Formats: sequence, C-alpha cells, structure tokens
Amino acid sequence: MTDRYNPQVIEHLVRPRNVGEIEDNHGTGESGDSACGDVARFSVRMDGLRLEEVRYKVYGCAACIAAGSVLAEMADGKTVIEAAAITKDDIEAALGGPLPKGKEHALTLVLDALHKAFEDHWNHDSEALLADGGYLGNGESGGKTVVAAMSGGVDSAVTGLLLREAGYDVVAVTFRLHDGEPGSRSCCSPDTVLFARDTAHRMGLPHFTLNLKELFGTRVMGDFVGSYAAGSTPNPCVSCNAHVKFHAAAFLADRIGYDKVATGHYARVAEGETGPSLARPEDETKDQTYVLWPMPKELLARTVFPLGDYRKTEVRAIAEERSLAVATTPESQDICFIPDGNYRKFVGKRIEAKAGEIVDREGNFLAEHAGIANFTVGQRRGIGVSAPTPLYVTDVRPTTNQVVVGRKKELEVFEIGVKNLNWFLDPEESASVQIRYNGEPVECDVSEDDAEGGYVVRFREPVIGVAAGQSAVFYTEDGERVVGGGVVSRRG
Amino acid sequence: MSHPAYLDNAATTPLDERALAAMLPHLGGARGNPSSLHAAGADARDAIEAAREHVAAMVGASPEEIIFTSGGTEADNLALFGLARRAPSEKRHAVVSKVEHAAVREAAKRLETEGFEITWLGVDEHGMVDAAEFSDSLRDDTAFAAVMCANNEVGTIQPITELAEISAERGVPFHSDAVQAAGREAINVSETPVSTLALSAHKIYGPHGSGALFVREGVELSPVLFGGGQENGLRSGTENVAGIVGFGEAARLAREEMDGRVRYEAELRDLIIAGATEVSGVRLNGHPERRLSNNVHLTVDGVEAESLVLMLDALGYAVGKGSACSSSGHKASPVLEAMGQGETEAFSALRISAGKDNSSEEIEGFLEAFAECVERLRELSPIQTG
Repeated sequence: MTDRYNPQVIEHLVRPRNVGEIEDNHGTGESGDSACGDVARFSVRMDGLRLEEVRYKVYGCAACIAAGSVLAEMADGKTVIEAAAITKDDIEAALGGPLPKGKEHALTLVLDALHKAFEDHWNHDSEALLADGGYLGNGESGGKTVVAAMSGGVDSAVTGLLLREAGYDVVAVTFRLHDGEPGSRSCCSPDTVLFARDTAHRMGLPHFTLNLKELFGTRVMGDFVGSYAAGSTPNPCVSCNAHVKFHAAAFLADRIGYDKVATGHYARVAEGETGPSLARPEDETKDQTYVLWPMPKELLARTVFPLGDYRKTEVRAIAEERSLAVATTPESQDICFIPDGNYRKFVGKRIEAKAGEIVDREGNFLAEHAGIANFTVGQRRGIGVSAPTPLYVTDVRPTTNQVVVGRKKELEVFEIGVKNLNWFLDPEESASVQIRYNGEPVECDVSEDDAEGGYVVRFREPVIGVAAGQSAVFYTEDGERVVGGGVVSRRG
Repeated sequence: MSHPAYLDNAATTPLDERALAAMLPHLGGARGNPSSLHAAGADARDAIEAAREHVAAMVGASPEEIIFTSGGTEADNLALFGLARRAPSEKRHAVVSKVEHAAVREAAKRLETEGFEITWLGVDEHGMVDAAEFSDSLRDDTAFAAVMCANNEVGTIQPITELAEISAERGVPFHSDAVQAAGREAINVSETPVSTLALSAHKIYGPHGSGALFVREGVELSPVLFGGGQENGLRSGTENVAGIVGFGEAARLAREEMDGRVRYEAELRDLIIAGATEVSGVRLNGHPERRLSNNVHLTVDGVEAESLVLMLDALGYAVGKGSACSSSGHKASPVLEAMGQGETEAFSALRISAGKDNSSEEIEGFLEAFAECVERLRELSPIQTG
C-alpha cells in the first residue's frame, strides 16, 4: 500500500469548495491549532434548521483541506440534524477511500470544527438555558423523537441504541460541562466529546455538543463549593439533575422540534393519576432515583429512561453484542469534575479557609481547625483531636465557624427538617426516606413544618450521620415510587 | 502558458541519457559476474574498474580508494561504523554536526546506544558549523568526526577543508557526506584531507542504488557487510555492475561539465530566489552566499508545505518539502531546529532545486504557479498572517 493521496483529495485541494467565512453567520467553530500544524474553521448560516450556507477555511495538510472541502459541500443545504449525522467515514468515502496512514486526523479535525460551529449556534441562545427556562417548549412534534444524552460511556450508548430500536428518531447530545484537569480522562473533557461523537456516529445517530460550562459552573460547581463553605454536604449530581442535564437536553429538543429527552440513568417513569412520577429501576444495585428527585415534573413528563427496565449486566451484554467500543469502559467517577476524588483539595483551592474551634457538645474547646470545609458530619478521620474513644464530627456550624465532635451515639438523629422540596405525588404518601445514595430507606412520618417552612421528617428509628445539604428522598409504601425529595436543612 | 517542470533535483536528478546508454549493455542478455574468471566476468570487472577511475577522478582520488556501495546511505554507514569499530578501544567519542543527513545522524545515534559518546555540533542561523567550536570539541578519545560538505535541506556549504585540516592535525579521522556537494562543488581529496567521503550517483544524473565511499589510503575501516570480500573486503556482495557503470559515466560527465552546469544552475537558482521572495512573507533559508548552486530553501509564512507541494504538483511543478520531517507526522526537522527555527516555520518550508535540464521558461512558469498557490492557500487559511 502506498501513502499516495486519492485523486479526489488532490482535486479538492486544487479546487476547494465552499471556501470562506460568513460574516452574518449563525455559528462559527474552530478546531486544532497552528502549533500542531492544522487548523480548521467553519461558519454556517441557517434558515430555521436548514443550513443555507456552510463555509470553511483550513490551514494544514492536503488531507485537511480536502476533508474540509468535502464536508462543507456535504453539509451545505442539509438540515442541521442531517449534517450532524455526517461521519468521518462519510467524508473519507467522498474522498475516494482511506487516507494515507497518519492523515486520519484530518477527518476528526474538520468534523470537530463544523460541530463547534453548531455548538456555537446553540450557545447563541444560552440566555434561555441560563434563565432556567430551556425546557418550556411544547415538545409535541407528533413524531417519535428524542434527544438522548451521550457521554460515550456504556450506559448512554446503549440508551441511544435501545431508543432507536424502539422506533425513535434519536439525536445524541454531549454536554461540555467543565475543562477537567489536564491529562485526566474524566467524563466531559474535550477528548470525551470526540469519543462520544464517534460513538453516536458509529450508531448512525446525529450528534450535537452543548457548551454548559457557565451553567454547570454556577449551578453545580459553585453550589458544591458554596455548600462546603456553609458547612453542609452537597451532592453535585443532584444539582446537575435539578438544573443542568435535563434542562439542556430539553432545550435542544425544543430547538430541533423533538418531543422527548432521555438519559442512561437507572430509573423509571411511572404514570399515575396526578401525572408522572419517578420509580425504582429493574436493577436495584444501580438505582439512581435518589439523585433524580429534583427533576421538575413537567420535564419528567417528557423523559425516557430506557435502562430502567434492564440490569447493568444486560446493558453490558447488549453493548458487547453490538460491538460498541464503549463496552469495556470503566464506571464513571463519583464527581465528574474532581477526577482524583480529592474534593477537599478542590474546595480548598476555591475558598479562603478560616481557622476556628473544634468543640464538644457542651461547647468546650478541644482544638483548632483550619477551616470548616474540611469537615462533614459523620467524619471520623483527620479530625486532629485525640481521645480514648473514636470521635466523630457531629455538627458543623458555619455561623460560629465551629466544628462539634462527639461519640458515635451523638450522631444519632430522630428528626430532620427538609426544604427545597419537589413533589411528584401527594406528600402524605411518603412512607420511608432515603438520606444517602445507595442507602437503606428508613420508615418515617412526614408533616409540614409550620414554624420554619418545608417539612419535618421523623424517623421511626435513629439514623446515623445525617448532614445538612444532603438529599432526603421519600418513597411510597411499596418502596417503588419516589413521592418527592428535598434538601436536609436541619438535624434533630 | 505554463511549463510543467521537475524542480526537485536535490531529491534525485533525472537519469542522464548518456549514463543510461552506458548502463544498458549491462542490464540485458548474457552478463558475467565480476568475480568469475571467464571472459564475461572479466568484461564486467573491466567495466567496474573503468567506472572506478571516473568516480575517483571526480574527487581527485586514486581508483583503489573508491569502494562502491548501494548508495550514499550505505557509504555513510560504512564510514561511521567502520571508523568507530576500527578505533582503539579507549576511543569512544565522536563529533557529529546537528545538520547531518539522516544517514549519518541515525548511524551516530545508533553508536550512542552502543556506548559511544557523541558531541553534537551546533550551527549558526545559516546552518554553518564554526571551525573553532569544532576544534574545541575534539578530544584525545575522539574516534572520528563527521561534518557534511553541504546540507541537503538548506544547501549551506561547510568550511570542509578547514575542518578536515583541523581534524587531521589532531589525528582524528574525518568523514564527510558529499552526496549533495559532489558535482556542484569542486571537491579534491588531495587538498581536503578527509579520511572518508560519501558519494551518490542519483544526485548527479546517475542511477538510483549506486554510490561510493572514498577511503583514503592508510585509513582502516571495519566492514559492515561480510561475505565474498568484494570491494577490497569492505563491501561484500556481487557488484551492481550496471549501476556502477552508470555512476562512472555520470561522474565523468559531472567532472567534464561541472563548470557550465554550476554556472547554469546558479542562474536558475537566483531567478527562483529573486522571484519567489518577491511574494510577501517568503524568506530564504540557509547561507546567502555559501550555498549549493541548485538549492533554494524557503519559508512561506502562513502556508503548510505539504499542501503547497501537492498543489504545485497538481499544476505540474515537482518541488520538495523543505523539512525532512520524521515519518510520524509533524515534527520540525533537526536541521531547521539546529538553525534556531520553530516547528511552525518547519511546516512552512519548501525546497526548490533546479538542475541542468531545466529551462528559464520552466522557472518563469513555476514562479507564476508558486505565487498563485501561495495566494490561494493563504486565502484558504483561517490564520491571519502579517
């Protein structure tokens, strides 16, 4: 095999199509940099969803110039959804077959630049999303259409596959959430976007990327840091589901006229007289209803969770059977924006630590601490006070900047206050409450808190280590459906 | 009106028809092995010896100092490994310039992995080695030194006589790669005290796969190929008779026609330099005066060299990429890097080398095409250039 270019490549090099830059564009995107030798830029002009004009520029090797030319020509005149389905293989085929070895990057480069132009286009409308109103479209196109979140992992890939096989027109979407740590392979890093796009394209699905860094930065990362600073224990997945992920998918669905949104969460949507509610999935070991409680009800009404009816082992088997490249990827991190898991370091870099006192329940001074963000209720290690029996953090008090420690028994709580509630069913139906991910539900009584607002939750048995900021999620008598949820505001 | 033309003579020259004519009898029909006793074998032997005289004459050597090889690369390898392995065991150091052709550079790197210490000699922004620095880098345990006569990328001609003299005074064997310089620069080993000198046929209108190493009488080398002991025991293997004959004829012609060729090539070279540098953002690399008669090496701002080469090719003009990149994608050439240029400049480097068979009309056509291609690629580029 020679490394000679196909005549099609040379033809496009000498007579590149659609060269230029559109001044009054609806989106521009650039990929690569001159230091690595290649840069591609695309700009698009749209009429509704129709790409009225697609222009490109490239600095780089012949393969990049020709690939850009072919892609611009192919995308021009298509709908943005059709164009988002153009794959690297499609470009290569239009260039007369395989590029010489080492030149395959040209396909990735030009496709990424076009997709960044689409991303920029959606970003023009980001005010709507930031205003928390992205999901309010009618979502009634009449067809069976769905926007499916695609991280590139096994769950999201199989989600896309199952939806397509169920007869949906599926559009995959990947969210650019944060910049990640350099060199890390955490989800949502730039490489992950490329990988997710490849995964979607291999399944024949159009793919879009939405830049949610601002939204995710304030609603999730900012909230995460702020909660620790305020002495409470946040759950970033909960904030993401409350404000980011489903809103963004619905935002895109509304803009392309699609009905439903879907993710690869292990949960089910149950229909009832009062509308939809969340329900436990088939695979109890992967149950994610605990982190989904803050989903607005009107959003849940248009949500599909295809994995709710499958066990994880089955999902892996499906991926392997269809030879999805994702089949062997490891489980994702607990906190996607902290790939090394060291959340104290992450928080410590973002807030100014203020030294304070460690005291016992009577208020007696025991030691100094370097900042309350280093402590969370229930914590045993790293307290820095020696005692004959193990000491636990029993309370964190932001107002006095104190950390209270005590024996394990002192962690026991019989009652909590819950605020920021989101109900799918009548609160009266609450029979048990779960206060941590994968935790066991505890039987409880729920009543409105007339004094402070929100609800008072009384446990039938003591619960160890409830921290303010954690989610409390209520389940029905049979334990199958989520009644609602809220954030723990006080303990005892 | 365009005049499609081959302008990559530094990569390889067209085969001179007189060299081809000399080769043909040795390619077809009955032919003898030069090692055979019979008449056919003796004829082949005679042809090789006649060629040896021509090649020797080209560089002012005696015929017995010429060892035929499969080309410049083998000649360089034979010199470096031959000198290194023959050196006394306490001499495990060598001086090699940073701008050597890969045949020398990679052989030296190999010696490095075998325990040799290499002093990599730097160059100035024109690609020139400094004689004083060279002198300072020689040590008592230096087994050999290697600096090329003229650079294959940027065309800079080294002060090779001076370097060889310094080396000789210090008793250090000196190798020089003359693959690009031979036939363009008068090289006379009786005036330039090199120990070994690498030559190639296909850069002087001879055939591919044919080269030679000059080994000065008295210089001892270890062979790298073992077998029948041909070429004075230094290059075993049945000789490439046709290739050697073609080389001999090409060397004879190079010597006879050199003055005229050099004058003509230099005229074309200067036409190219003048015309190409009229285009904005185009700079000449290498030495302004001490450069090979056929070499034009340019940096074309804002244009990626591969695209430019292929676009020119599509218009009928064959030129070379100016940076011999590593095969694995984008990496600056060690030559341009040694001259202090960055990777971005290396991506934008172009080598245009005219030859005796080019015409000034071809150069005019090329210059038009060059200006057009540069303009088109810059229009296509999203990167703003000044």
